[in-house]
This record gives sequence, C-alpha cells and structure tokens, in this order.
Amino acid sequence: MAVSDEAVQLAGAFVGGGIALAGGAIGAGVGDGLAGASYIEGVARQPEAQSRLQVIFFLTVGLVEAMFFINLAFMAMFVFVLA
Amino acid sequence: MRQLVLATAADEGEDEPAIHIGTHIEWDVPVLGTVNGDTVISTLVAGAILLLLGFWVRAQLTKKTDDHVPTKLQMVWEGLVKYITDLVEDNLGKVNPFVIPLAIALFFFILIANWLEVITTQRSHDAHFLTPPTSDTNLTYALAFMVIIGVWVFGIRENGLKGYLKHFLEPFPALLPLNILEELVKPVTLALRLFGNIFAGGIMLLLIAMLPSYALWAPNVLWKLFGLFIGVLQAFIFALLTVLYFGHAASHDSHDEHDDEHDEADEKTPVAAH
Repeated sequence: MAVSDEAVQLAGAFVGGGIALAGGAIGAGVGDGLAGASYIEGVARQPEAQSRLQVIFFLTVGLVEAMFFINLAFMAMFVFVLA
Repeated sequence: MRQLVLATAADEGEDEPAIHIGTHIEWDVPVLGTVNGDTVISTLVAGAILLLLGFWVRAQLTKKTDDHVPTKLQMVWEGLVKYITDLVEDNLGKVNPFVIPLAIALFFFILIANWLEVITTQRSHDAHFLTPPTSDTNLTYALAFMVIIGVWVFGIRENGLKGYLKHFLEPFPALLPLNILEELVKPVTLALRLFGNIFAGGIMLLLIAMLPSYALWAPNVLWKLFGLFIGVLQAFIFALLTVLYFGHAASHDSHDEHDDEHDEADEKTPVAAH
C-alpha cells in the first residue's frame, strides 16, 4: 500500500503543529511560573512594594504569553494553510 | 488572510466545513484594492464609542458641583492620568505633552476593540459583523507601525539624527546588528502579540459554538470572562510598551539625572515619598 504525497504532507503538518504547540505551552508555563515566583518572593520580602511589582509582573506575563501566541499563529499556519 | 478551513470539523458527506477561520467580508475599493470590510466597520464602531466616551467624560468633568468636591468620575480619571504621567516621567525623564494622551488613547481604543469580541453578531453563515478589529493583522500592524514611526521621529527630534544613530552603538559597538534587529522586530512583536491573543480567543469562541446549545453556555461565559481580562491586559501592555519605547528613544543621560533627583527627594521627605 503506497502512501500518497499529500498524506505525508498532511501528517508532517499536523506533527509540526503539535510540536510547535508543545514547545510554546512548556515555555509559556515555565516563564509565567518563574515570573510569579519572583513576584511572590519580592512581595514576601517587602509587602508595600506589591503594587509596583504587580505592574512589572503583568508586563512580563504579557510578554511571555506573546511568545506563546506567536507560536499559536505559526501552528495555525502549518495546519491550516500549508497542508 | 486566505480562507482557513477546519477540515476535521466537517461532517461526513457535507461539502461545507463546520467553521471557517479567518474569513472576512471583503470589499473592493477603487484605490486600495481589496479591503476587509468587517475590520473597517468594527474599527469605526470602536472609534465612535471612544469618541462618545471622551465627550461624555469631558462633559461630566466640567460640571460645576456646589461645594467643589470632585466627583467620583473626576477622581478616577485624574488617578488614571496621574498614573500614566508618572510612568511617562519615569521613563522619559520629563513630562512630554505628546506621549501621555497617545498612551491613554491607545489603551482605550485597543480595550474597546478587544472587548467587541464579547458581542455576538452574525451577518451570514460565514461572516460575522462585529468581529474584533484587532483579530485582523491589518489593524495591529497599522497600530504598531504608527507607534514605531512616532518613536523614530521622536528619537530623531530629541537627539538629532547623528545622536540617534549613535545610540545604536550604545553599550558595545559589536552589538550593532543586534540593536538594529531589535529595532526592526519591535513593531512586529507589538502587532503579533495583540493579534495572536485576540485571534486565538476568536478561534476558541468558534469551537465553543460548535457544542450543543444546552452545554455551550458554561464554557461560553467562562471563556468570554477570560477574554475580557486578556483584552485589558493586552491593551495595557501595548500602551505600556509604547511609553517604554518612547522613553528608550529619548536621550539616555536624563534617566541618570532623574534617578539622582529622586534620591534627593526621598531623603528630604522620607515619609511622604511616593
């Protein structure tokens, strides 16, 4: 039974999209976790700095999530456009 | 964006797939070619809402109360403007009368544009009327390029052309290609961050809409609440990064002077500082 070229292309696109999503999710999870851990540690040392640190925390979370969503956009491109 | 088709959502034997991702109502405009109509409509709606809010706030704020006690709206608005003014002052070293309204306008416009995804509208089987305009890369690229061109013009005006080009060699001259790359990548990441967040929210809503109607209300409510929060966060990050980029393009010397001034002020009034 011969496997057609389109089938290989489709399979490759789905696997590539899955790997992109996996890497993105791991990276975003680790990055958000690190940011949160530093924030909690900073607030534990100095509770009155909470509101100032919160701004930096949300900024970091936003930047980390941006990487994840760019990953998502590439996954969408692989799965839907290129295959 | 070309028509993206969710192949796995098609039922057996049907020609049309269940959902379409990334389709827009397209208009053929004489000079510009093909234009995404629903993005244009949503942008105009968001802009109209913003203008109405602006006029309403101004009318409320110029009302004279009897005993000159500030109204709640005035206090909220003044708190917001003070927060952004402090942010701009920290980053640019001085209060720039141009950056503060730009940051506030960007924040509110992107906020309203992101929150349009909560309103469900449908014009025909494939096309939705009030799609959030920020889920189209065209709008986010336009916003990001306007911001980055503003940053470049501001930097050149502040430091002169030579001074601005010299700051690419700032920490070490060997980092010149990295600095140039960073400058070129800034608008791309600004645009794609905003686009990706809102677009992914839209895809999720389409997937939730495929559930049977007795089950879809719960994930719908939860996801839309999360979408509201993400909308606020992304608008805030866009405005904050705009202010930061303007601050980075301004002269770097003033940042050190401002730190010294801050220390002196803290010594004199340790209790009342901040």
